Amino acid sequence: MNRFARLLQASGPFLGLLLVCGLFALTEEREFIFTGGNFKNILTQTVIVAVGALGMTLIIVGGGIDLSVGSLVAFTSVLGAKLLVAGWSPLATLLALVLVGAGVGLFNGLIVAGFRMMPFIVTLGMMGVVRGAAKWLGDNQTINAPPDSPVHQLMARINPSEFWPLPWGVWIVLGLAVVMALLLRRTVFGRHVFAIGANETAARYSGVRVGLAKGATYGVAGLLFGLAGLLQLSRLTQGDPTVATGLELDIIAAVVIGGASLNGGVGSIGGSLIGALIMALLRNGTNQLGWQTYTQEIIIGCVIVLAVGLDKWRQSRNQR
Amino acid sequence: MHSPLRALTLALCFVGSVFAADKSYTIAVIPKGTTHEFWKSIHAGAVKAEQELATQGTKVRLFWKGPLREDDRDQQIQVVENFTARKVHGIVLAPLDSQALVAPVTSAGQAKIPTVVIDSDLKSDQQISFVATDNFKGGQMAGDHLAQLLGGKGNVILLRYQVGSASTEAREAGFLDALAKQPGIKLISSDQHAGATRETAYQASQNLLNRFGKEVNGIFAANETSTIAMTKALRDLGQAGGKVKMLGFDSGTQSVLDLKNGDVQGLVVQDPVKMGYLGVLTVVRHLNGEKVEKRIDTGVTLVTRENMAQPEVAALLAPPIKQYLKE
Repeated sequence: MNRFARLLQASGPFLGLLLVCGLFALTEEREFIFTGGNFKNILTQTVIVAVGALGMTLIIVGGGIDLSVGSLVAFTSVLGAKLLVAGWSPLATLLALVLVGAGVGLFNGLIVAGFRMMPFIVTLGMMGVVRGAAKWLGDNQTINAPPDSPVHQLMARINPSEFWPLPWGVWIVLGLAVVMALLLRRTVFGRHVFAIGANETAARYSGVRVGLAKGATYGVAGLLFGLAGLLQLSRLTQGDPTVATGLELDIIAAVVIGGASLNGGVGSIGGSLIGALIMALLRNGTNQLGWQTYTQEIIIGCVIVLAVGLDKWRQSRNQR
Repeated sequence: MHSPLRALTLALCFVGSVFAADKSYTIAVIPKGTTHEFWKSIHAGAVKAEQELATQGTKVRLFWKGPLREDDRDQQIQVVENFTARKVHGIVLAPLDSQALVAPVTSAGQAKIPTVVIDSDLKSDQQISFVATDNFKGGQMAGDHLAQLLGGKGNVILLRYQVGSASTEAREAGFLDALAKQPGIKLISSDQHAGATRETAYQASQNLLNRFGKEVNGIFAANETSTIAMTKALRDLGQAGGKVKMLGFDSGTQSVLDLKNGDVQGLVVQDPVKMGYLGVLTVVRHLNGEKVEKRIDTGVTLVTRENMAQPEVAALLAPPIKQYLKE
């Protein structure tokens, strides 16, 4: 593979993002879409999917999948609202949610590794369990957090028609992205995750403690999903047990558009973030163009298949 | 410049600004969902306002856009934010939640975009007006009519809709308020909830009738699904057709049929076409610098078998959606 082809592969998702921007630039609505305030909008709307995608990238690179994210976000948002109402400090609430998220993730991971079960099935079950638990915890209702809670500042957009200042949530995503990229690329654990995803048997024979690494993978991702729950709470100013239904599919789509392979062993943090951004941009742009809701769904569906198709085509050319 | 000439120029400018049809607004109308007939009626009302305003020289461009996934608050927030960035002139919003939508409406206000709230209230003082049904009054109307049908005495059941639903809770409160003035009427059940779907409502109705079926004389159900389900349960027991007086809220194909057949004695109906119409009209009036009322009641009507053929009532039961929406 020559240097140019390699560069093209690494920047594939980014080129996709530029392409979508270019298409919107051809429309008459460009004067509204390409404004600082609107890009603040898009970034804010990306935050929750992006935080989820950070964790999901780790899982998918390791050859797994997690379908329980949406439910977990709903559960932690309800729990967070209840804790805030009970007078917990924001920091204590954050810690509690992140730990609960990590606990659920760890549980997923240990069952997947310990019983050698398909992650699809385990997390499908967990999706139902956690969603039910969220409704139980919230008594089938939304829980309003105290309206003056500092938690709401995380996602609040001050000065909505200007690009600066960005909400805290955006900076949190950027900071965590650096941490996760380092974890995935520069640590032994990260290399093990890649090895397991590429070939689990080979990794096992090379001395990687597969079970432990898998448990840790889902646990670390769970930390992030718990955080996503807090951000969801901040955005709605309430905990809603029915929120984020199907969020896991948006997150998986973002990771896949970003160049990861559901077969494991391939994927990047930067790509996943751009994947999330592409979807938010498509939604935002088609909203403003006044297109019907169903056109958005069709377009995003096509983009997913197209992105993965292009990736396959590129790989087959490289192998030849 | 000579002063007569200046006066003339000024006058011309003034006349020009009044008569030139250069007033053009983009208005986003954001419902809770797009598939229910109720929201289609609101859409029809909004289009009616657009057409009327066009004949008066005000050009309005409507954006009709619900949340991507129905009943998803986060998605509706995104739609409001995106139209704020689109710099529409005004927003007409039916909030999915009275609290979750406060922040985006406040942001729109900061960007100098006025919002008119329709259908369900918002816990905020940012909206320039709230255009909706007076649900309490609607409940009272049902209570008064039921008391009249029963001749002021009998046993009554109130089938509630769902915990935490503000509009139906107001209807239930109005109903109880009307019955409190009737010493001869005894409330034998008023604490059961029908739940969100027709199936849960049907189960709750069957359970209630199993317990109280022998003694009940009149029933009120607070929304469309529970009205249909309770009527069906009454029919199963052979208690329909007026043996037990049945009053409901909202109209749908099935409940109108039940009314026609005499299984339902009255339906309190809202006017969603008017809600969409006045929603758009109110935001345009505000943009034109007129003062608008903080609360606009779109009215409720008690529909019975006797008055259902009158043209204005028939229009409520079968809103003229096709006239305004090309489908």
